[in-house]
Amino acid sequence: MATINFDSELRRAGANATGGWGRLAFLAQRHVLGTVGLIIMLLFVLTAIFADLISRYDPLTVDSAHRLAPPSMLHWFGTDSFGRDVWSRIIHGARISLAVGIGSTTLGATLGVIVGLASGYLSGWVDLVFQRVTDILQSLPLLVLALVMTAALGPSLPNVILAIAIPLIPTVARVIRANTLALREQPFVEAAKSIGMSEMRIALRHVLPNTIAPLIVLATAQLGSTILTEASLSFLGLGIPEPYPSWGRMLSESAAEYVRTAPWLVIFPGIAISLAVFGTNLFGDALRDILDPRQRG
Amino acid sequence: MRSVQALAVAVLSVLTISDVSRAAEPKSGGIFRIYHRDSPGSASIHEGATYSVNIPFMPIFNNLVIFDQHIAQNSASTIRPELAESWAWSGDNKTLTFKLRKDVKWHDGKPFTAADVKCTFDMLMGKSQQKFRQNPRKSWYDQVEEVTTNGDYEASFKLKRPQPALLSLLASGYSPVYPCHVSPAEMRTKPIGTGPFKFVEFKANESIKLTKNPDYFKKGLPYLDGIEFTIIPNRSTAILGFVSGKFDMTFPTEVSIPLLKDVKSQDPTAVCVVEPNNVSTNIIINSTAPPFNNLDIRRALALALDRKAFIQIMFEGQGDIGGTMEPAPDGLWAMPKDMLESIPGYGPDVEKNREEARKLMQKAGYGPDKHLQIKVSTRNIAVYRDPAIILIDQIKSIYIDAELDVVDTAQWFPKIARKDYSLGLNLTGNAVDEPDQSFYENYACGSERNYTNYCNKDIEKLFDQQSEETNLDKRKKLVWEIDKKLQEDVARPIIFHARTGTCWKPYVKNVTIMSNSSYNGYRYEDVWLDK
Amino acid sequence: MFAYIVRRLFLMLVTLFGISVIIFVLLRVVPGNIVDILFDAAGFVDPADKANLERELGLSQPIVIQYLHWIGGLLHGDLGYSYVSEKPALEEILPRIPITARLAGLALLFSASIGIPLGVISAVHQGSKLDYALRVVSLSGLSLPSFWLGLLVLMASVSLFGTMPIFNPNPKTWLEAITIYAVPAMAVGFRSAALTMRITRSSMLEILRQDYIRTARAKGASEASVNYHHALKNAVLPVITVIGIEAAFLIGGLIVTETVFNIPGIARFLVEALRWRDYPIVQNLVMFIAVVVVVVNFIVDMLYAAIDPRIRFGD
Repeated sequence: MATINFDSELRRAGANATGGWGRLAFLAQRHVLGTVGLIIMLLFVLTAIFADLISRYDPLTVDSAHRLAPPSMLHWFGTDSFGRDVWSRIIHGARISLAVGIGSTTLGATLGVIVGLASGYLSGWVDLVFQRVTDILQSLPLLVLALVMTAALGPSLPNVILAIAIPLIPTVARVIRANTLALREQPFVEAAKSIGMSEMRIALRHVLPNTIAPLIVLATAQLGSTILTEASLSFLGLGIPEPYPSWGRMLSESAAEYVRTAPWLVIFPGIAISLAVFGTNLFGDALRDILDPRQRG
Repeated sequence: MRSVQALAVAVLSVLTISDVSRAAEPKSGGIFRIYHRDSPGSASIHEGATYSVNIPFMPIFNNLVIFDQHIAQNSASTIRPELAESWAWSGDNKTLTFKLRKDVKWHDGKPFTAADVKCTFDMLMGKSQQKFRQNPRKSWYDQVEEVTTNGDYEASFKLKRPQPALLSLLASGYSPVYPCHVSPAEMRTKPIGTGPFKFVEFKANESIKLTKNPDYFKKGLPYLDGIEFTIIPNRSTAILGFVSGKFDMTFPTEVSIPLLKDVKSQDPTAVCVVEPNNVSTNIIINSTAPPFNNLDIRRALALALDRKAFIQIMFEGQGDIGGTMEPAPDGLWAMPKDMLESIPGYGPDVEKNREEARKLMQKAGYGPDKHLQIKVSTRNIAVYRDPAIILIDQIKSIYIDAELDVVDTAQWFPKIARKDYSLGLNLTGNAVDEPDQSFYENYACGSERNYTNYCNKDIEKLFDQQSEETNLDKRKKLVWEIDKKLQEDVARPIIFHARTGTCWKPYVKNVTIMSNSSYNGYRYEDVWLDK
Repeated sequence: MFAYIVRRLFLMLVTLFGISVIIFVLLRVVPGNIVDILFDAAGFVDPADKANLERELGLSQPIVIQYLHWIGGLLHGDLGYSYVSEKPALEEILPRIPITARLAGLALLFSASIGIPLGVISAVHQGSKLDYALRVVSLSGLSLPSFWLGLLVLMASVSLFGTMPIFNPNPKTWLEAITIYAVPAMAVGFRSAALTMRITRSSMLEILRQDYIRTARAKGASEASVNYHHALKNAVLPVITVIGIEAAFLIGGLIVTETVFNIPGIARFLVEALRWRDYPIVQNLVMFIAVVVVVVNFIVDMLYAAIDPRIRFGD
């Protein structure tokens, strides 16, 4: 069920191409929106990697002579109240958003997989305890939990990643648990048991690989929401501290002072957040269509 | 010739002032609507240390004496009687006696007497049974031996030594008289005063409402029916509210220069003033631990500051450079310009200063290939964070790579007290433009707000000497000398003194924004609306 | 069925107990307490005054005692006193609930009235350009940070009308009341609308493939009648689903939206109280939010089962 055979999937969809590029082109044609999302995501990743090359100024350098300059050829997105180049800050902000997005999604998914696998495979009291923990985490709004946690841990990049990762655990754990429960009844697991494989090994060798597809779908879907949560936290002043150019922080500063006098300070960071999240959402949607046909809408 | 000109100017200004007062007869009525920048922790002025408390609650109270509410520059010569009818110093300058008004009632109907004065100041000195939760200005009364009463309408302050500044401290918005019969806890939630307005309600994060006191002892006052503060922490939202007519005045001294320009472009009729607020932005240095236990590095830091650039970025040029005391012309105790510029780092040639600073850094073992790595700690509030960002950028020029360390409000002072920082960016507000207040609070050995533990017994002697001095000119010279020494010792480098704006609609009359304090000008008893 | 409900109720209590412990411990891990903040304005902390105040507020007691004290009070309906305002916490929290509830209700109403029709249209025209466009719109709705949307609305309102909605607890006219609540509700409900639309669309597609629809078609019912009459009846489910999912999400959106629009509801109050380390307010508010989320989820599950007979009670 969860194993994906790309070739048969493609054939079913009517693809004739057999070469790698041809298959890719076919997939791209079939999922135009997903391709657009993938391109946005790639651009976003490349921006983060090559931020130093793309940005035209140092994102932290203060320039008292060019404060609050509107967008121009010199400063494409204008400058902020310190004369820092907004374009360069947004480019570097991609690093933070990506670090938080990927960091917390990976951390949350890993912990979620451990909890989900243990819960689904071991069952018994482990399951009972883990189920209650996921219940608890799920009954608190993500932002509320993240707010209290960043307040407790203090504002810094690793702490923000942790604070956003923990509320992700239950969502992942639920899906993995359900999958594991179903897989446990599958013949190949029975077979593995009969030849005397250890429980641990079965879980890791047979059950885990078969939950990868839904996991990827879920993680991509969560990526966007982690970026949004980081932006909200920073907007409320509890995220990544200055002077790091976090998009949410940039917005929170400009929202307080410059909504009218320097609208470019509100517009560009907002576009950056929305575009990044939009890209991951588009891609995540397409990925779900491809990998998890049951949910296809 | 000069004096003739001066006379002409003086005559003109007198004419204008009387013109204004003759211009219109005050009208009674109306609710004065102001937005408030944040939700104050309590309603008790004595337990607060921010003008977020003073501004909304000062209209509820009266002092013994108060700075004239319509003269922007507070000084000893503009002190007016309020609950006191008159005051007098004894011959040895060690007793200050107030004769009190007999026609004053608290808002709950009980009469005001000298016992209330004694209660208030005994509590401030920590001598009474009832205690404040916190008492931030206890040190103001360090020289007061005791407060005594003589009958119901006379109270005296007996001092340990002469301190002419006491009267100025009593004239601050921070020195209201509290009723004996109301507990400190009630004063935090439902304050009772004698003032022109009565407390109605305070909803945290929402609003503060005051209503006219019809039994106010000044007949015919106040003119307003009430004052309403709407709490709006977001400045843009608040300013939009003002521009669109939802408020009659902005929160006093809270409008930044760019926003002020925006207000003027949106509403050209708005009256806006920009005044110094006697808050200095300064650097606290941990000189007990490396690297700043090295005097050369401290000196280099003081030399690296480009104060004009700070002022350009923070206030579009509208800020002041000075020492500890508020700069001239609004400050009463500022060093003359040439004296100020003779202090290292205050000279006009920034590049030359920095060249010198780099030499000092090299002497300490740093250079282009070996940068010093430090953290600049500050609070997570824009007025702290913004200058810290500029500071970090500036000290790059002297081989210092600094990272910003943003500290949560709840952790800031504990962290400073633990000496868990190397450089900190700090704001020091002065309620009264008065050397006794600034020097003792911030630089005296062992004082609570002397964060850097700077301690110099020689200077401390000068503190006492100027404090006792009754001759104003002599006292000024002493103050200048002290201020210069403090800067040369790099006790707490002062970066700049802020200026901020206040705007109101043209129909708001009789509002005066003080020019050397942001804590004293909010009684609002004769403010009226010409609508 | 009865046993199932009892079991669910018991588990709910366990969950709430867990939350109370977690929030209580988390808050006390936070460095610095209300006393540090109160003294902060003074510019220094007096150790004797600090110790006094901590004793007065019960902060010097062992953490277990503090917890039992809180829970004991809670069970008697005593929420303690706000450290900041010194008023009963209940008095501080209760008046703010209707404000946030109105916003949340309006947001859900908005999301249903936009999301369901668009979802149906999208499903009926599956694969068409219109469907594509609507899907992009709904995805973008899930991508816009609600605080940014709020800011844009404010900016637009000022440049178009020269004014903007500023919260007033006692609106004088209906128009004022609507602008005060509706604009922020739309900003926060945009996301829910997008979600409603997506869920409506996928469940519509499912239903359209069902046998009884085919039967209806075969019987000669017109296309429009089939699509809208039969299928829409089933749209109640997605709305309930959205409410279930959004109960938790909406609070997050409301926190930032109430901040942007300066609305004194419970969501912003939570952030403020957290900043002041006002434990009695934060603890009780978080518990309140958790109770709402848990109860809403419970009701949603019950409704689901009642409406859709295919769903069985079970684990």
